Amino acid sequence: MKRFLRAWACVAMAAGAAWAQKIPVFEKTLPNGFKLLLVERHDEPRIAGGWVAHVGSANERPGITGIAHLFEHMMFKGTPTLGTKDATRDLAIIAEQEKLRDGMREEEAKMRAALRRGDVEDITRPEARTERYRELEEQFKKLVEEQRGLLVKNEFDRIYTTAGATKMNAFTTEDMTGYFIEVPSNKLELWCWMESERLLRPVFREFYAERDVVFEERRMRTESTPTGKFYEQFNAMFWDAHPYHWPVIGWPSDIPAITKRQADDFYSLFYQPQNITLLLVGDFKPADAEAMVARYFGRIPKGSQPPPEVTTLEIQSIAEKRYNAEAETNPQVDAMWRTVAFGHKDSYALEVLEQLLNGRTGRLYKGLVLGSKVATDASAFHAAKKWAGFFDLSAEVRDGQSLDDVEKALYTELDKLAQQPVPAEELQKVKNNFAAAEYRRLTSTFGILYQLIQAEGLGDWSEINNAGAKFQAVTAADVQRVVRKYFTPENRAVARYTRKAGTGASDEDPDLAGLSGDQKPMVRQLAGRIRDMKDVAQLKGMLAAMQAQGAGGDPKRQQVQKIIVRKVEARIAELEKKP
Amino acid sequence: MNMIPARLLSLLASIASIASIGSMKSMAADAIPDRPEKLQFPELRYEPPNPANHRVLLASGPVAYLVPDRSLPLVTVTVLVRSGAYLDPVGKEGSAEFTAGLLVRGGIASKTAEQLEERLAFLAAALSSGLGEETGSPVTLNLLSKDLPEGLALVREVLTAPRFQEDRFNLERDQALQGMKQRNDDSSSIQAMEARRLAYGTNFPAARVLTADALNRLTPDDLRAFHRRWYHPANFVVSASGDFDRADMTARLEKLFADWPFKGDVTPPMPSNTQMAPGGVYVVNKDVNQGRVAVMLPGVKRDDPDFPAITVMNDILGGGGFTSRLMNRVRSDEGLAYGAGSSFPGGIAYARAFQAGLSTKSRTVAYATRIVLDEMNRMANQPVTDEELNTAKRSFVDSFPGNFNTASKVASLFAADELTGRFAQQPNYWSQWRSRIESVTKDDVSRVAKKHLHPDKAVILVVGQKEEIVKGHPDHPVKLEQLASGKVTELPLRDPLTQEPLK
Repeated sequence: MKRFLRAWACVAMAAGAAWAQKIPVFEKTLPNGFKLLLVERHDEPRIAGGWVAHVGSANERPGITGIAHLFEHMMFKGTPTLGTKDATRDLAIIAEQEKLRDGMREEEAKMRAALRRGDVEDITRPEARTERYRELEEQFKKLVEEQRGLLVKNEFDRIYTTAGATKMNAFTTEDMTGYFIEVPSNKLELWCWMESERLLRPVFREFYAERDVVFEERRMRTESTPTGKFYEQFNAMFWDAHPYHWPVIGWPSDIPAITKRQADDFYSLFYQPQNITLLLVGDFKPADAEAMVARYFGRIPKGSQPPPEVTTLEIQSIAEKRYNAEAETNPQVDAMWRTVAFGHKDSYALEVLEQLLNGRTGRLYKGLVLGSKVATDASAFHAAKKWAGFFDLSAEVRDGQSLDDVEKALYTELDKLAQQPVPAEELQKVKNNFAAAEYRRLTSTFGILYQLIQAEGLGDWSEINNAGAKFQAVTAADVQRVVRKYFTPENRAVARYTRKAGTGASDEDPDLAGLSGDQKPMVRQLAGRIRDMKDVAQLKGMLAAMQAQGAGGDPKRQQVQKIIVRKVEARIAELEKKP
Repeated sequence: MNMIPARLLSLLASIASIASIGSMKSMAADAIPDRPEKLQFPELRYEPPNPANHRVLLASGPVAYLVPDRSLPLVTVTVLVRSGAYLDPVGKEGSAEFTAGLLVRGGIASKTAEQLEERLAFLAAALSSGLGEETGSPVTLNLLSKDLPEGLALVREVLTAPRFQEDRFNLERDQALQGMKQRNDDSSSIQAMEARRLAYGTNFPAARVLTADALNRLTPDDLRAFHRRWYHPANFVVSASGDFDRADMTARLEKLFADWPFKGDVTPPMPSNTQMAPGGVYVVNKDVNQGRVAVMLPGVKRDDPDFPAITVMNDILGGGGFTSRLMNRVRSDEGLAYGAGSSFPGGIAYARAFQAGLSTKSRTVAYATRIVLDEMNRMANQPVTDEELNTAKRSFVDSFPGNFNTASKVASLFAADELTGRFAQQPNYWSQWRSRIESVTKDDVSRVAKKHLHPDKAVILVVGQKEEIVKGHPDHPVKLEQLASGKVTELPLRDPLTQEPLK
């Protein structure tokens, strides 16, 4: 394989043409509906295994937002034989817990009614709980204590960890839920056993503690970060009809209201074999792996009905949206346009556009950071998701510059691309990078698995092999066309952030107020050097020279000189005061 | 680094006919056991690569580690430079960091920064440089092997003749100043800065925070002076991996480092005089609805003879993710945090602190911290179970090949060992690593826990809404004053630019 690939690469390079590096994927569908993807690779004695359920937050509805992600957490809680010493009693406890929870939910409804009436301010505070709620909670805690006596804590993890597995994790996006791990190559059967067992008969024990964990995750990622809450709200404003509108983690009032029954329903609807793709990459023989997978996963019955697809299409945007926020962050602009879904024929030109704009030799950096110097950083991002896509441009405002100028400068770069075709060499630079990325992505077994999970979750694993040629085929005219088509004012939403008062530096030297952004660093530097000087005579000499020379008629220079004179005088006074 | 066999494609094509799903299923459906322990696995033998087989002492000075891997037409070359913030001259703080950063970004003698960046981008080559801490400051080139000669010529120029172009220096400085302004925006950044100060002392290089004033004093000439003093082959260790022939790469590297145009000094060792703050609770008030907690104690260096036992002990306590006690108690049992864990890293030049941590809603900060301290106590006073010990040991031993799973990982691991002196002291370090872990006993675990885990002496840093944290939770009446030594000190937020306390 090695030699074969190398020869292939040399020919392509010599021709100076586009070249592609295919990942040899073997695909098979099992009788019960599972799709299986295998990639054989013997670089290391490991196997990266995973599966992707074709369900994400876009499949939710208001009231249960966040359930796809909470469900992902529940998939690690075990099976009837993993995670407990007494499966019968464990299940009985779970049933009793649910009864109590039904009572608690009645109380929660009362708490929400009190909130609507204005009788309480915040129902999340422990003090807001009703008397009855507290009683039921006490009983619930007793059941949790009893259950804890039977639990074999995180046994699912322990078995894998003891077997030398690493990287065990899972993720949820709007479009998919992915689960992955890496095991020693002699433990393929363990992977088959563990993954098929948890798909065949998962037990969602410790559901309510895990729901609290998810809420802490929400606090960590969204609520206690400087811009998390703002991104969430801006995203909700960006999408009108489409379910991408709500956050993957879920609305804060939905997470604590999701019930275990809803999770059970979710599992039977979306975790059927025909909605799941299994993937293995690494050190195995494909024939053996296929047989073993068929044996273990073949036990899982095919679902009775296909899971529903997301049918809501985004409405057309007919007016620009603007979002002005004060946050604990440096001033920045974030502009987003609706674009296209994964695999759309325009998505390749949009990705090429992203790369033309990005990086230290990209249009944004050259235009805004190095050129007009209105920004200290700028970047572009195209997200072609499963059902719809967006393009984002963002920039951090340089000290002393205005949000208006930065926003305008972003549009100027797009305008240039709409007016003038991209020069051939610049386009080739971007294509060379796409081509080299075809090799770079092959450096690790786990990396290949992850890319396959992503592409398959977005709709089609084969894109990882087919997209390369499509990037190479993008022309300057294509880029120009997509810029003109998608980057219209009415198709855009713009978020502008200013720093929340009182959260910045106590600010610097008041003397420097009023100087332009370009002057400040120079004056600061000079002031710093003056503070370091120890020779009074030298300082006095400087003072005399400045006075003799004058600052000329330029008011800006006069202002700078005045500040420097003040600094030198202050330093002289300081030095002369010392004994 | 074995390659994908050449027959793969034809093999794949034949699979469909070999495996008949139906027959496989009927054959084995009832053979699947009810517990995974009943599965039998084939034996797996693995020997790590030997550093001596990859080590080349270049006549031009540096030691190089070469790990050819011809599966892809890519090459990575890294020059590790013995540098660090501890070498900053007094009054020129930031020299090490900005020299490292601008080496690649500030242009070279024959090319402006713009020209260099354009050329690299056209070649789809990545050339980067930055400041490291204990394992050197890397200058790394990754590119298609067909462009190697040109790439190495650029690396030589970056190392011998960086331009430190004024406009790029100014840009880098202004970006850094903007970055400084964000220091108090995220509670995690406040925690990181304060934790280092408490763990090592305000003036220890690893805890020092660059001020805007210091940065404004810095000039391109300061970087030139710093570069001339430290960036020469006596302070380099090199690693190369990827698509090359060993002899050919050796010749290229000889050329890269030959006839260095200037002489400098040999880098002195890093300081090790850390000073941990007195035990107690330290609170920084920050308006976020989730408090961050870091529980710290003095740590060890990685050459401590107890380090394998410490590693296993920490894995059981909080290093092992979902199999660790902290995760089980704080997350799974109580639902108090998304993550809870501990690290006992083992420093190279200085003793790195033990740290346990979590983030939880303000009202349960004290309660969750109490659980962490209780678990530290339990670790020091009760033996671990056989199962816990086995899980930790198997996990380390059976995931061991992951340390060497790519050629570039092997090369950089060995180069780091050369730079830190570990290869000189323990040339068989990696081949013996698994047996050292295997030999740790339950008694060892208890002994090192007792020696190092002293919850009553811990330095506990809390960043969050002070008022709410102090209130605590009605169901869990734990107070901050009841933690550790009982002393609670409020630390002020610091001005992000001057690092002076804010009122």
